[in-house]
Amino acid sequence: MRRVAITAAAMVVLGLARSRTPSDGALCPTPRLSSPINEARLLALERENGCLDDGQDQPPASWPPGWKSATMSGGDVPPVRVVSDPYPTLHSVVVDAERDRVVFSDPNRHALWTYDRLAESKTRREVEPLGGIRGPATGMMFIAAVTLDREKKEIYTVDNDIGDRLMVFPYDADGNVKPKRVLDVPHQAWGISISDERNEFAVTVEAPREIVIYRKGAEGHEAPLRTIRGPKTHLGDPHGVFFDGVNNELVVTNHGNQGGRAPAPGDAPARQRGSRVAEPQPIEGGKFEEPSITVYPGDAKGDAAPLRRIQGDKTGLNWPMAIDVDRGRNEIAVANDGDSSIRIFRRTDTGNVAPVRVIHGPRTLINGPMGVAYDLKNGEIWVANYGDHTALVFPIAANGNVAPKRILRNAPQGAPTVGFGNPGAVAYDSKRDEILVPN
Amino acid sequence: MHGIFYDPIHDEIVVPVALGGAVLTLPGDAAGDAPPKRTLQGPKTGIVQPDTVYVDLVHDELIVESGDDSVLVFPRTAQGDVAPSRRIGGPNSEVSDIYGLAADAKRDCLVVANRVRNGVRASDDAILVFNRTDNGDPKPRNKIAGPHTGIIKIRQVDVDEERGLIFATIKNNFENYNVADPHPSPWDPDRTGFIGVWSIDDNGDVPPRGVIKGPATGLVWPAGVAFNPKNHEIYAIDSVSNALFMFKMPEFFLKAPGSPSPGR
Repeated sequence: MRRVAITAAAMVVLGLARSRTPSDGALCPTPRLSSPINEARLLALERENGCLDDGQDQPPASWPPGWKSATMSGGDVPPVRVVSDPYPTLHSVVVDAERDRVVFSDPNRHALWTYDRLAESKTRREVEPLGGIRGPATGMMFIAAVTLDREKKEIYTVDNDIGDRLMVFPYDADGNVKPKRVLDVPHQAWGISISDERNEFAVTVEAPREIVIYRKGAEGHEAPLRTIRGPKTHLGDPHGVFFDGVNNELVVTNHGNQGGRAPAPGDAPARQRGSRVAEPQPIEGGKFEEPSITVYPGDAKGDAAPLRRIQGDKTGLNWPMAIDVDRGRNEIAVANDGDSSIRIFRRTDTGNVAPVRVIHGPRTLINGPMGVAYDLKNGEIWVANYGDHTALVFPIAANGNVAPKRILRNAPQGAPTVGFGNPGAVAYDSKRDEILVPN
Repeated sequence: MHGIFYDPIHDEIVVPVALGGAVLTLPGDAAGDAPPKRTLQGPKTGIVQPDTVYVDLVHDELIVESGDDSVLVFPRTAQGDVAPSRRIGGPNSEVSDIYGLAADAKRDCLVVANRVRNGVRASDDAILVFNRTDNGDPKPRNKIAGPHTGIIKIRQVDVDEERGLIFATIKNNFENYNVADPHPSPWDPDRTGFIGVWSIDDNGDVPPRGVIKGPATGLVWPAGVAFNPKNHEIYAIDSVSNALFMFKMPEFFLKAPGSPSPGR
C-alpha cells in the first residue's frame, strides 16, 4: 500500500507581532507594515531600519563575505505566524517492566521521554515525565526507534534523517547531556533491536533496503558485523525490527517501497553519509510492492532469502511500523499506521494470512500508531500514537474495538498534532489559500 | 518526500516519492488515503530516487530530479513507464545532487538547486540556470555560487516569474557533531540557515538581493520555500524546528529586492 502524507497547514496557529528588534547586528528588521503600502513608504522604512548602505547596522562576522556592503532587502525579520507543535510527539515506545519505566522517542522535539509505567491521565491534563533527554549536546536529530539494554541500563535511539547516528544514553541521563556512546549508521535508519543472546543489535535502513548488525557496544566509525541486503531478501523500505535471540531470528516490517535501482547485493559495505548509493546498480524502476513482515535467521548475511514472509491482502498490513514479539505466546504485534490498528500474527505465520487478533476501532483511540511494545511481566501492550498526543495500554489479549486500560497524555486532551516530521519542502495552494507540506 | 508542487491550473498536487522511485499526481483536494491520478514510475523513466519536482505550466512539462544526478523533463501528463523528453546531466552541466527545481517560462529557463558533496564548508553548491530546452550535457547559462552567495547546503527553490526572482532555501550548515567536544551540537548557532533572493539573471559569486536570516526569524535549517505574491508572504519550512514560518515581505514584491530604487 502506498500513501502520501501531506499536511495542509492551518494558516494561523501562532501569530507573532512583527516589531523592530534592537540593533544587534541584524541586517534589516522591518516594522509592522500595514497594507496597502507604497514604494515610498517602503523606502522610508528601509532607510529607517538602516538597510540602505548607510552603515548603521552591521551583519555578524559569521555572515558571508560581501554581505556587509551589499544592499539587501529583508533581514532579521520575525515571522508573522508560525505553525509548530510545542508538545513532544510519541513515536516509538519501549517498556522496562522490572524498573516500572516506559521510554518514548520524540522526533518533533528531538528528545527521549521517560514515564512511570503506571502513569495515567485521568483528567484532560498531560502527565509529567520522570525525565527527558533533549538539547543540542544529545546530538539527536530526526530520531525514530528507541530500545533498551535492560542489563546495562542503557537507552538506544537512532537518527532517521538529518543526522546519521545511533546514540546510547544511561538510564539516568536527563536534560541536555552528551550520549554515552555514538555510532555512525547508514542514512535513513529506522528500527533498532538488541539480542542479548547474541550480544548484537540490528538496525533497519529504509532506502538501501538493508538490515545492519553491530556488536553490542559498537561506537564511533565501527563497521557492522554483517549486512542483510539484496533482491532475494524481499526487504522493501524496512522499518520495525525485533532481534529474537531465543529463536535466533530477525523479524522485520516492510512498507514495500522499492527504489529505482536494484539493491546492492550481498554483504557490500553499507551506504554511508555523503553518497547516494553504495555503488551504482542497474536501474530497474521503482515499485510499490505490498507491505510485509519478513523473518531471517539471526546470523543471516548478504542476499539472504527470508525464512518466512507474511504478505498479501488478508494480512491488512498498511504502513507497518514498529514490531514486537511475545515469545511466550508466540505472537507478533505490529503497529499498523495505515489503518490505525495493532495487528497480531502468530510468530510462525507465513504467506497471505489474516492476523489472529486486531485491535482496531473508535473505542480503541488508536490514531496513527508508530510504536508498539509488549510488557510481558504485566500482561499489557503499549501503543504510541503519532496521530495525537497519547499512548495507550491494552490487556495483552485485547481484541477488536475495545477501550484501552490506561491513557497517557503528553499534552492537554485535544491538543492537535501538526504532523510535521522532518519537513523538506512547501507549496502554496492558491486556489484554497492553503500551504502544503510533505513529510 | 522532499518536494511538492501545486498546479493551480489543473488543481493537482505533484509529489516525488524517493523511496518508491516515482512521481505521483493527486487531485488538489486529495485527503487521507487518496489514490493518485497518475503515477510515473519504471525503468524507462530513469527515475531512481526523486527528491524534487516542478511543473512548467506554460509549456505543460513536468520537471523531475532523477535521484541520479540529472534533470528529467516529461510531458506534464506523462504516466506509467515512459522515457523523458529531455535529460540534463553530465560533467559540463555540473548537475550533481539536486535538491530543488523551478522553471521560468517567461525567461525560458530551468533553475536547479545543485549540491556538491565535498565535505567541507568551502561549498560548491550552486543555483544553476539552464535554457529551458537544453538537453544532454550543456553548460549552465548562469551559475550563482561562491562564498559571497552564502550558498551552503541549498534546498528547495521557487521562482517568481513576474519579477524574475529566485527564492532559495539555504541550510548554511554541514551537520557536524563530535561527541568529544565539550559542548557538541549538530548545528552551528552562528551559521543558521536563511532564505535568499536572487535575480534570475544574476551570475557568479554575488550576494543575495534579499534575505530572511537571523535569530528573530526562528529559522535553523530551512528546507523549503514558497510564496504568495497576493499577500506578499514567504513561507519557509524548517527541518530542525519542525515548524512552518510565514513572513510578511512586501519589500520582495513591490520592487526589485535589494535596490534602493526600482531596478538595481
